[in-house]
Amino acid sequence: MTGYHLTATTFLPLVGAVLILLVGSERRARWIALAATVATLAVSVPLYRYFDKASSALQFVESRDWIPSWNIAYSMGVDGISLPFIFLSSVLSVLCVGASWSAIQSRAREFYAALLVAETAMIGLFAASNLFLFYIFWEVMIVPLFLLIGGWGGPGRVYAAVKFLLFTLAGSVLMLVGMVALYHTFGTLDFRALAQVGPSLQPGHQAWLFGAFLAAFAVKVPMFPVHTWLPDAHTEAPTAGSVILAGILLKMGAYGFLRVSLPILPEAVQLFVRPMLVISAIAIVYGAYVTLIQTDVKRLIAFSSVSHMGFVTLGIFTLDRSGVEGAVLQMVNHGVISAALFLCVGMIYERTHTREIKDYGGVAKSAPVYSTFLALFCLAAAGFPGLNSFVGEFLIVGGAFRTQAWLGAMAVWGVVLGTTYMVWLFYRMVMGEMNPGLEGLKLELNAREVATLAPLALLALCLGLYPELVLSYLHAPVAELLAGVTP
Amino acid sequence: MNGATTSDLVLLVPELILIGMALALILVARRIRRGPAAVVGTVLAALAAALVSVWFLPNGATTGFGGMIALDGYSQFFKVLIAATLAMAALLSVRTTDGEQVPRAEYHALLLLAATGMMLAASALDLLTLYLALELMTLCSYVLVGATVENPMSNEAAIKYFLLASFASALLLYGISLTYGVTGSTDFAAITSALSEQGVSANPLLLVAVGLVTAGLAFKIAAVPFHAWAPDAYQGAPPPVAAFLAAGAKAAGLAALGRVCLVAFGSQAQVLSVFLAGFAALSIIVGSVVLLSQTDMKRLLAYSSISHAGYALLGLIGGAPEGASATMTYAFFYVFMTLGTFGVIIALGERGENLDGYHGLAAQRPGTAALMLLFLLSLTGIPPTAGFWAKFVVIGSAVRAGYTELAVLAVACSVVSAFIYMRVVVLMYMREPQAPAPARFPVAVSAVLALAALVTLIGGIAPGRFVVWAVPP
Repeated sequence: MTGYHLTATTFLPLVGAVLILLVGSERRARWIALAATVATLAVSVPLYRYFDKASSALQFVESRDWIPSWNIAYSMGVDGISLPFIFLSSVLSVLCVGASWSAIQSRAREFYAALLVAETAMIGLFAASNLFLFYIFWEVMIVPLFLLIGGWGGPGRVYAAVKFLLFTLAGSVLMLVGMVALYHTFGTLDFRALAQVGPSLQPGHQAWLFGAFLAAFAVKVPMFPVHTWLPDAHTEAPTAGSVILAGILLKMGAYGFLRVSLPILPEAVQLFVRPMLVISAIAIVYGAYVTLIQTDVKRLIAFSSVSHMGFVTLGIFTLDRSGVEGAVLQMVNHGVISAALFLCVGMIYERTHTREIKDYGGVAKSAPVYSTFLALFCLAAAGFPGLNSFVGEFLIVGGAFRTQAWLGAMAVWGVVLGTTYMVWLFYRMVMGEMNPGLEGLKLELNAREVATLAPLALLALCLGLYPELVLSYLHAPVAELLAGVTP
Repeated sequence: MNGATTSDLVLLVPELILIGMALALILVARRIRRGPAAVVGTVLAALAAALVSVWFLPNGATTGFGGMIALDGYSQFFKVLIAATLAMAALLSVRTTDGEQVPRAEYHALLLLAATGMMLAASALDLLTLYLALELMTLCSYVLVGATVENPMSNEAAIKYFLLASFASALLLYGISLTYGVTGSTDFAAITSALSEQGVSANPLLLVAVGLVTAGLAFKIAAVPFHAWAPDAYQGAPPPVAAFLAAGAKAAGLAALGRVCLVAFGSQAQVLSVFLAGFAALSIIVGSVVLLSQTDMKRLLAYSSISHAGYALLGLIGGAPEGASATMTYAFFYVFMTLGTFGVIIALGERGENLDGYHGLAAQRPGTAALMLLFLLSLTGIPPTAGFWAKFVVIGSAVRAGYTELAVLAVACSVVSAFIYMRVVVLMYMREPQAPAPARFPVAVSAVLALAALVTLIGGIAPGRFVVWAVPP
């Protein structure tokens, strides 16, 4: 079967990147980037329209010979778990261009080219239906982000970029060995085929493979204790880089668990499930406490991601239907909210050039629209009912209580702390008396910035009020996934 | 053994073309002091040799000269690769031979003769032929390393290289004589049949013989612990010569090692794998770790080439034909990415030879910086570059041979070496320029960069096009 839809969606941004490098002047680069990202979003729309939610099978399947002598195919296909992330990737990419419109002044061509290459890698990763292609996109993703962080980031950008690179590379090379081992055992790397034959491996062998893949996924998620690259990278990255990191890159690790570890290595999952749950719980509570004491806005949001991604891994390893569905929903939610929060911070940073919370205060007085957006996103991050995170966290906590009561208790504790730091952040930045340092600055958003934030606000509301938008995609594939894992 | 016949000579047409051009250049040396005649001649000869290897020679494996020379897919693969190396090295030399410092015709004649030695090494079916071929290559290399006569560094490098390489040649020769003593022959086929009857346990002398032969060959590819010559030789040599040695000598050494391991000592895979695994592990560790402290680009690439020798050896450990073709794939892609990296160094002139010269290059020369980025990613082994597939196939054959720990060690060290490769990227993309923009470089250098980049990219996206040629011996 050879369709072309996923390929087109995946490689359209790359075409844009090549165009920028070939013909774009510095000023035209952003227009080409905008056109490419919007076109990608438009091309991806039929994917959602014609997707059959009732089926757990891969859809829009493509398969072509790639390297026949090694039996490696170029194959793509999406199911209900991967489709929401293709949507999220293409939406966030458009917003990234919007957020960088005036912020990126130097070497704009290379910036937008890197951004578009990153988009191709993101979409390709979620569209890949074999481990090989998955790995290629996984690795390709590292390079543009390394350049984005190191080339256009804050004062500590080089340190942050190198740290990001070495952490992620160290994880992913072990995945390479795991992949090679699977390839030589079974002679195929197709996800579906591996899910058929993988469970027949010896439990000890599975445990080793699980460890190899865990190294890659845990760094990306990031799970405690390999999360230390995240605060640096997120803080120093330019806004667009932070949005991609928080919005998509962190989801790649969790997606890897769902795509590789759970279906292919079920015996090992049973062996590892308790330690995974424990470190998820640690990440939730520890991450939340560390978030509380941050004084830098971006760092605060970055650390909150550690806690929020702890919820996601907790949900996945409850191996409970509501837990896993909640985890995937929460991945989407976190993608929306953390991206929105980084956009908000980036927009005000462009005006004030400070990320210290103490330099803010009383922003509401001069920027009511901005403050409204920020309030919405802070509440959403805190899990306020009616907004999107609430549903995801609710499902995860439910799953956790069904698995082990103390896990549910830890998760609830995390929710309480989450509310505290988000609301406190909002209070310190927006409420109260105007900080004298902000006098005379034009803090209110312009139309472009409102247009950048509005889609995310809409998503946060819609997903909060009608989570079936995402959940309806998940029922069938999650049921199939769990049927394979639970004995 | 019969005398050589015309049909034997046909097998050596590529080599004869190179030798012919070398002799012609020496004859007219006085007349071509100026102008690009020598470069053009060398490149044409290399192209002709490559074309002849691919198209005009009889298909299927044949042997000649009483079984001393083979013509098969294996030797053709390496001949084309070596011809490409020769052409690219000659193009990179356009600036080196400017002025009277380096005699132009003689320089290119030596390149041609060294390449002839490399090609013969890839097709040798006899230990003595192999030895002579490698000596031809090495003798020419000594002179090339010392080609800039006025430069004391260059002289020092040539002498160091000479002393160490003579030692290694002695090891190889001693190994050959012991092999002869044990098996009564230097012919690969005869050695194979003699060895199938006796193992190491029956004849401990064999262990020494195998060890010495592999050690002598390990020197040629600069594998640890026989690597000490490479950093000094590369640093002192004119940059194009360093490129030629890093790419060509490594390819020829791997070609020889592959055939010796799989054909001559094929029945001793158990013993060989211990030696090879040791060389591979040491090379990867030492190469990647020492790499971290380098600031001279040529030295840096020397250590990089040492670690890459280790990766390439991973393919030969199992003693399986698939492993040999993995090593061939590795050698192929390695040659182009290394020549590309050297090409950037040469293109940047003085600035390119030190790490500090790369500050802010992306702002001044975005195209050159992007090419360097591509080659460095390939050296690190990140997709979608050819270097990734090279790494993938050799890691695969190490896992298949049961050396999973070695595979893990290899990928772990690739992260270590990523640190230094990416440091160059950091300097290029994330720092401000410190020196004025480098001058424009000759079109010949651009041609090399374009070819290397093309192979690195196409090899990264569609490696299938290249791997079908990697036919094991």
